Amino acid sequence: MAAFEKADAVIVGAGAAGAVFAAVLARAGKNVVVLEQGPDWQLSDLISSDIWARRLRGSGPAILYEGRHPVGRTADHGWGTGGAALHYSANFPRLLPSDFNMKSEHGRGLDWPISYADVAPYYDRVAREIGVSGDAKAEERWRPPGEPYPMPPLKTFRHGEVWVPGFASVGITVAPGAVGVNSMEYQGRAACIHDGWCGAGCPTGALANPQATYLGEARVKGAEVRPMSYVTRVLTNTQGTRATGVEYFDSKKERQVQEASLVVLAAFASQNPRLLFNSATDKHPNGLANASGLLGKYVMAHAGAGVSAIFDEDLQNYLGSFGYQFVSYDRHSKTSRKTAFGSTFWNTGAAQKPTDVRGIANVRPDLFGKELDEFLKGKARGLARITAICEALPKIENRIELTSEKDEFGFPLVCINHTFDQDAVGLWSAALDEGVEIAKGAGAKEIWPGRGGIAPQHLLGGTIMGTSASNSVVNSYGQTHELVNLYVAGCGIFPTESSANPTFTLNALSLRGAEQLATNWNSIAS
Amino acid sequence: MGGAEVLLTAAQARAQGVPLRMLTPEEARTLEAVGETLALGARQAGIAHFVDQQLALPPGYALLTIRISEVRPPYVDFYRAALGGIDRASQTLLGRKYVDLTDAEQRDFVTRLRQNKIESWQGPSQSFVYGTLRNDAIDVAYGTVEGFARLGVPYMAHILPERSW
Repeated sequence: MAAFEKADAVIVGAGAAGAVFAAVLARAGKNVVVLEQGPDWQLSDLISSDIWARRLRGSGPAILYEGRHPVGRTADHGWGTGGAALHYSANFPRLLPSDFNMKSEHGRGLDWPISYADVAPYYDRVAREIGVSGDAKAEERWRPPGEPYPMPPLKTFRHGEVWVPGFASVGITVAPGAVGVNSMEYQGRAACIHDGWCGAGCPTGALANPQATYLGEARVKGAEVRPMSYVTRVLTNTQGTRATGVEYFDSKKERQVQEASLVVLAAFASQNPRLLFNSATDKHPNGLANASGLLGKYVMAHAGAGVSAIFDEDLQNYLGSFGYQFVSYDRHSKTSRKTAFGSTFWNTGAAQKPTDVRGIANVRPDLFGKELDEFLKGKARGLARITAICEALPKIENRIELTSEKDEFGFPLVCINHTFDQDAVGLWSAALDEGVEIAKGAGAKEIWPGRGGIAPQHLLGGTIMGTSASNSVVNSYGQTHELVNLYVAGCGIFPTESSANPTFTLNALSLRGAEQLATNWNSIAS
Repeated sequence: MGGAEVLLTAAQARAQGVPLRMLTPEEARTLEAVGETLALGARQAGIAHFVDQQLALPPGYALLTIRISEVRPPYVDFYRAALGGIDRASQTLLGRKYVDLTDAEQRDFVTRLRQNKIESWQGPSQSFVYGTLRNDAIDVAYGTVEGFARLGVPYMAHILPERSW
């Protein structure tokens, strides 16, 4: 075992949330070590190919699945530095005020221990720090005013524009979507050239992936990133009152210990609970930070509803970014649907490549051989898609728990047990119905609502925030209630999920938590 | 080859008869035949050598879509079960292995596989086998620079992929 110097902070996971904590603590002059289970991807590794891009996702410890709607490791999962944000859509919608008060306003779900006003300044900060393109004024029909985005919206393309009259035909207003993609050169990073390869990672720096933003900054300010480091446990003092570091296995599968004054768990939302469960001691027999018994509980996913359609023109659907062009919160009210409770977020305009699991060929999974060839060479040129992200309420029975199966080092794996309730299914079904009407209103010639099965997107919850150790795992900063120097970061701390893509909020919460930590370092970590 | 590293595309590897490392020759023949049914050109593009090469890598570096599924490594177990299942079912249903079926019989077989309608099936979920092998076939037939060109879609790479896997 190598002997490492004790660090001020050890951060588990070099994805979006870990990168924010690393940058902020490095800014504050702290000695930061970031442990990442996968490779240390460089921008030069980001090959423009959906096939090669598979290296960036879907590896690491096995996850078992139960429930009717398993939340698999699809695009929402990363392997290596940058995590899922290395190859993401960079869709940056924010939550709305009503998302923070669901229990108070409707008697459903949970409340956040903070309000929109607590997070809003951090949305604006993140937008400035990593670069967001959008039209804040246009969004203010749905949300309180804030700062303008630092860049104007991205250029739009026909495969997004073609839907606008369709949305209008059902009374839905759209606005340019806020995205973490540069519409112009920003802070020395290039402007997007609209080639649609964000899903394979963006080597130009136009996409706000962690390598180009917070993780890059953290390295410059002295943070050490240690790849191929598979963390297995958080270590605690004999009294069980403080974290003392983490145990991990390196690329040679040798056990190592990194001692630190502070530990931040910023791994995938399923792995943070696993680490806390596997770190159980006689002082914490049910796992760290689990006095409430809620560790691993309230796992959530979004119910994605996609409607594809063919139009009578070449829409050049390979152009643009992997993110959306237009969005609407018009169905965001929790009671906007008569048949189901919860919010829906419409968006459209993501570039589509021919292949890969989310590519054009899989819009018609029934086609193969000659028919597939004819489709890809012909009709697919007029293909465009709209997507509704539908909210699911936090349910205690949706959970992450340890299994009897173990990894190669003898530590139990987790199972994600997830089933959408009737409200989520109802929102999904209503969105598909509405999507068909939108497509008709847009003049589509053929329409395919994705009724084959609900596609769960984004894994959230499992380490939710709340007001005390009796109702949650962490507080609003991500600090565990039971161990003052142990934090959890990422969308696992969301107590409700809204219908918005989570990464903008994840970044804002991480910035808020990391700055609180840096400001109060002496009382927390010393 | 012969102690020297030679970089080849999957199609070149097939054309030069590069030995397989993970799949048996019989499994490779079945994969080529099913791949060709699923995506025109997959056989010539080297689907068997592509999959074989990827199965020989550590799972974290494999480029197959199966890595973003619920299947756990080693992935060769899935392919072995899937390809064996196809040949067993073909033998039971039609008295011949898949490669020996007519084009029409192969299309009918794959249609039933997609719909989970092969009653004698023994192996992983039929529709999952269909989807996974279809994705592999689409990868080699359409997912490359040459494949995009066949479709008339501008590739517009920032960093061009190497032609070899």
